[in-house]
Amino acid sequence: MSRYPQVLFQNRKLKRINTLEEYCQSGGYQALADVLREYTPQGVCAAVQEAGLRGRGGAGFPAAKKWESVPADGAFPRFLVANSDEMEPGTFKDRVLIHAEPHTIIEGIAIAAYTIQASKAFIFVRPNYEGSAAILEREIKRAEEAGYLGRRILGSDFSLEIIVHLSGGRYICGEGTALLNALMGKRPNPIKPPPYPTVKGLWDRPTVVNNIETLANVPHIIRNGPDWFKGLSLVEKSPGTKLFCVSGKVKSPGCFELPMGTPLREIIEEHAGGLLEGSEFKACLPGGASTRFLIPEQLDVRMDFDSMGEIGHRMGTGAIIVFDQKTCLVGATLNLIQFFARESCGWCTPCREGLPYLRDLLWRIENGEGKEEYIPTIRSMCKDMWNSFCALAPGAASPVESLLTYFEDEVHEHIVQRKCPFQ
Amino acid sequence: MPKLTIDDLEIEVPPGTKVIDAAEQLGIMIPRFCYLKELGPAGACRMCAVKFLQGPFKGVQMSCMVDAQDGMVVSTNDPEAVAFRKQVIEWLMLNHPHDCPVCDEGGQCLLQDETVSGGHGLRRYLGRKRTYRDQYLGPFIAHEMNRCIHCYRCSRFYQEYAGYRDLGPLQIADRVYFGRFKDGPLESPFSGNLVDICPTGVYTDKTARFRVRHWDLERAPSLCIHCSLGCHTVANARYREVVRIEGRSSGKVNAGFLCDRGRFGFGYAAHPERPRNAKIAAQNVPMSAAVREAGRRLLEIRESSGAEAIAVLGSGRSCLETLGMVQHLSRVGKWTAPDFFENPQMERKVKAIVSQLDARLAVSLRDVEKADCILAIGVDPVNEAPMLALAMRQAFRKDAKVVVVDPRPIFLPMRFEHLAVSSARIETLLQVLLQVLRQTDLAAPPAPLPQPIQLSEGLLSEVAFDSSVQAQFHALVETLVGSRNPVILCGSGVVGESVSSLAADCAEVLQNAKGKGGIFYVLPSANAFGAALLASSPEHSFLDTVEGIENGTIQALVVVESDPLRHFPDGPRLQAALTKLQFLLVLDYLPSETVRRADIFLPTCTLFEVGGSFINQQGRLQAAEKVHAVGTPIHQATDEAMRSARGEEGGGKHPPRMYDLGIPGGEPKAAWEVLDALMEALVPVAEGTWREDPWEVLKQEIPLLASWNGRGYPADGLHVVPEKRPGAAVALPLETEAHTSPSEASLQLLLVDWTFGTEELSQYAAVMRQVEGEPFLCMHPQDAERCGLAHGDALEVRLEEGSIRASLKVRENMACGVMVLPRHGRIQWQELRNLSGRVPFECIQKISTDTQVIEDLR
Repeated sequence: MSRYPQVLFQNRKLKRINTLEEYCQSGGYQALADVLREYTPQGVCAAVQEAGLRGRGGAGFPAAKKWESVPADGAFPRFLVANSDEMEPGTFKDRVLIHAEPHTIIEGIAIAAYTIQASKAFIFVRPNYEGSAAILEREIKRAEEAGYLGRRILGSDFSLEIIVHLSGGRYICGEGTALLNALMGKRPNPIKPPPYPTVKGLWDRPTVVNNIETLANVPHIIRNGPDWFKGLSLVEKSPGTKLFCVSGKVKSPGCFELPMGTPLREIIEEHAGGLLEGSEFKACLPGGASTRFLIPEQLDVRMDFDSMGEIGHRMGTGAIIVFDQKTCLVGATLNLIQFFARESCGWCTPCREGLPYLRDLLWRIENGEGKEEYIPTIRSMCKDMWNSFCALAPGAASPVESLLTYFEDEVHEHIVQRKCPFQ
Repeated sequence: MPKLTIDDLEIEVPPGTKVIDAAEQLGIMIPRFCYLKELGPAGACRMCAVKFLQGPFKGVQMSCMVDAQDGMVVSTNDPEAVAFRKQVIEWLMLNHPHDCPVCDEGGQCLLQDETVSGGHGLRRYLGRKRTYRDQYLGPFIAHEMNRCIHCYRCSRFYQEYAGYRDLGPLQIADRVYFGRFKDGPLESPFSGNLVDICPTGVYTDKTARFRVRHWDLERAPSLCIHCSLGCHTVANARYREVVRIEGRSSGKVNAGFLCDRGRFGFGYAAHPERPRNAKIAAQNVPMSAAVREAGRRLLEIRESSGAEAIAVLGSGRSCLETLGMVQHLSRVGKWTAPDFFENPQMERKVKAIVSQLDARLAVSLRDVEKADCILAIGVDPVNEAPMLALAMRQAFRKDAKVVVVDPRPIFLPMRFEHLAVSSARIETLLQVLLQVLRQTDLAAPPAPLPQPIQLSEGLLSEVAFDSSVQAQFHALVETLVGSRNPVILCGSGVVGESVSSLAADCAEVLQNAKGKGGIFYVLPSANAFGAALLASSPEHSFLDTVEGIENGTIQALVVVESDPLRHFPDGPRLQAALTKLQFLLVLDYLPSETVRRADIFLPTCTLFEVGGSFINQQGRLQAAEKVHAVGTPIHQATDEAMRSARGEEGGGKHPPRMYDLGIPGGEPKAAWEVLDALMEALVPVAEGTWREDPWEVLKQEIPLLASWNGRGYPADGLHVVPEKRPGAAVALPLETEAHTSPSEASLQLLLVDWTFGTEELSQYAAVMRQVEGEPFLCMHPQDAERCGLAHGDALEVRLEEGSIRASLKVRENMACGVMVLPRHGRIQWQELRNLSGRVPFECIQKISTDTQVIEDLR
């Protein structure tokens, strides 16, 4: 058991979800009742603002600030979208959360919807998570029957319907604006704001998109207050806990709820049980496939948005993929770039054509056809990815760019030996 | 007004201008693929990257995505931006097939230009090229997906701009495919624009495929004369033949786009059977001899029966110069007053319309795009003036409300409210609308109207509109009251004569209150407006001429670029009358039935061979330039020469040489020139020189042009309408008597236009055969049921002497008691003697069931 307080996972059970009754016994839906009875939408916003809740989807944007950007005179109906299109390689926290405590998500959605005065909410679920979607649908029905959702919730004037939407299944659908297009039945191409979705989103109505982990934190903030929430974290600017997914060459991979700012070394060595027998830490991706590799010298960094930013890395979704000394990182990067080249939406040129180009060059290096001149080409192309339409291509270039930064020797070795030295 | 610096040059631009456009105003053409001003920014190709040095943005940004702002300092040739653009070019060329030598786009290819100018010359990428399977997209557009650089211009135009759904992006990543779900002709009548906007050769003009290289073309600004809008075009010719039409942007008419009828309908000009020789009694003779003989015959008739025994008929497809010369010749020769409309009823309607327009009320096609409320009365834009539908769609995209009042089954590529009332009821409805508008405080801020509107409620129920129409009418009034820029569109085809003035009155009331908006009429032909200006005698019509022929007072008929046998509503009567004529002189460039019946025929030139001026439906005088020399296209001429040399049918095309003094088939002249020569033959030279300048003639004949000097046109044409129209029409008494009740066992026959297959000129283009479909007619389900007919039945409609065969389309979105029959070129609708306009049920016979009705979007 963790030595840190568990919030989202406080009722996590080994083989089943936490039921509605159990959730209510542990104080569940009290926050919703309080909000509907005592809080104005601005009041909820202020509380979450004070707690400093930041988006858990990767960008770390303050949740309350997003809610506030819905114009006061914005049109109705408004929409809330809970993003659970978890397609980032290495990330599986949403699934674990849904399977542990679905009602904290539902309650969080209800409170957030009240805050922005949305009458309809969507949970956008990755298609592979059919089981999770079924759980959500079943539990939403139960919450409705218990009066926590539906018309005039708990006797208030507030009504909310939640619809579980199974995504068509592309990585780009996780991008906020592309997700909205997908929900409307359009091609999931991202849209460049302005107008922001909070002004003109689904069907031109104000729409807020939050990660489900972000939303799941909201009832706890209301119940226990902002100060408690800030106290959960080890750092000042990123309050609360975070769900970290650890995978790769570690003894006990899994999803752990730990304070924001927990050092990376502690997560890997203590919570994930350290590396496998005979394995040595070589590198890790700290926040999913679209973040830069971290090397052993950086292991003491704290895992929160700002500490990672300070050393030029991104925390992303907190999905840590650990590589050992026996893993070829060129091969690993090629694997990642193959994923991104396949998952580009095809809208802008750098992503659509540049990623397959990078894939081709990496494939040649990995398969002994590499040439020295590929390295500057790859480098400049990674830089050019930053001029693409959305964040997919820069994210896709991150592991490639960091491969050349930290492991250029390994790449050279491939070219010199005309084969992969790990084979 | 933001002021910014681009490449050390300062410029001030209106707010909202993109940096890419600001640079263009300075003459700096930033490379681009996806950006097209009409389609708005997309940010897809990343080709227009520039470096922002100062201001709210820093570093490399896409100039199409950034609004110009104060204090911006932009460099288009910063090394970082240039290097990035070069990289973009390399990416785009990774999979391009380099098939320029066999690509029709070669020579006018944006991808070629940007690749060369971007400096990407050597291929580094060693991977396999991506390949696609191409699709059959119909007879107009050839598809070569391997050339695609994924700029999304096509799908954005096709789906967003034009509103059709059957072509778009499929798949993702580097496998994105632009096409249809499966092979098949494109449903949009605006598909040809894909050729113009595609920056490379994915979509090329199939009708022009492999026929020319771009640098060999003779090109000139021209006009589209396939409807009354007068869209601006660029005509491209090679070997004395137009091979391709492109769109040209104009400030007042079209935004650079064209409809497929206008783009692909030019085949009449090089029709293989086009009469290019003067003929006397169907025998080829030299032009000069034919003109002399024609003059002699006309003099003979003048001597024997007086000058009034000579009548002349022009038409709205002639240029203004020709129409003016017709008028002049007729007046100087003291002939019977000339007619410019084959259809007398249409003449009255067009004249009524022209008298309504003034500079304040008449809005242009581009103004329609800016409307926030559009009321279309008796107009079927997609079928009558397709580009109007495209303009309406642009207004719709900016949230304009669109309401259509029309008996026909109207389809528009947008959401709209359709009041499907019969033609006669449109008039009543407009009268009520006018009264309501006059009695409502239109300037008041938009607020919910008191329900119900007392007046209209009373009036509407009095004139027996059913409740659903009443509800729609309420909504319409509310929309009009709340609008800021309401535009009324009004057709001339299926509505009564008073509708145009009622519509203008409504528009005037609205404009007085709102300060914006106006009226937009649709006329039956390219120069109907000019024809109406010239048709000075209000009483005389072609019907009088026909009567004159029948009773012998008219003995000679001069037909100038007109086909009365096609347009006159009573075919059998005209045919009989023509046999009584002593002398029929025809001037034309079409192989028409009227030409075949001519005693003397004089060939004239098409628009492409001499140019000409046309007044569009808004009253805008515009000019087309000459594109190529008069003559038989080389391919036809060499075929002919080879065949005659060998004395056989068929034959090869090589060598393409012929030895002759003149250009083969070069005899035709502009119709006004032929008329001028005819005048010379008619009037003794001593009376004066008849070498007339057509423009001097026009100034004499059209008072509105009298003050205008010079022949040059402003870029947007000259608006030839009075400052103020003569005044609002007198309020007509409201028709309250019961209209034809649906129990009556007959249907009102509406002869209508269709996008393809009914327009006179484009019908001579061979490619139109492939898209015009089979003849059909439309009925409301109730009427079909009462006649015991079903969708898909093959019908015969027999009236007096004539009959037509067509399959039945049963359509719910049309008025009851109406039969809609497009004037398909393959049915003899003229023989229906449609003067009464009604078809009794017993005249409709079912021949067979379940014919193949070609389903379209309607």
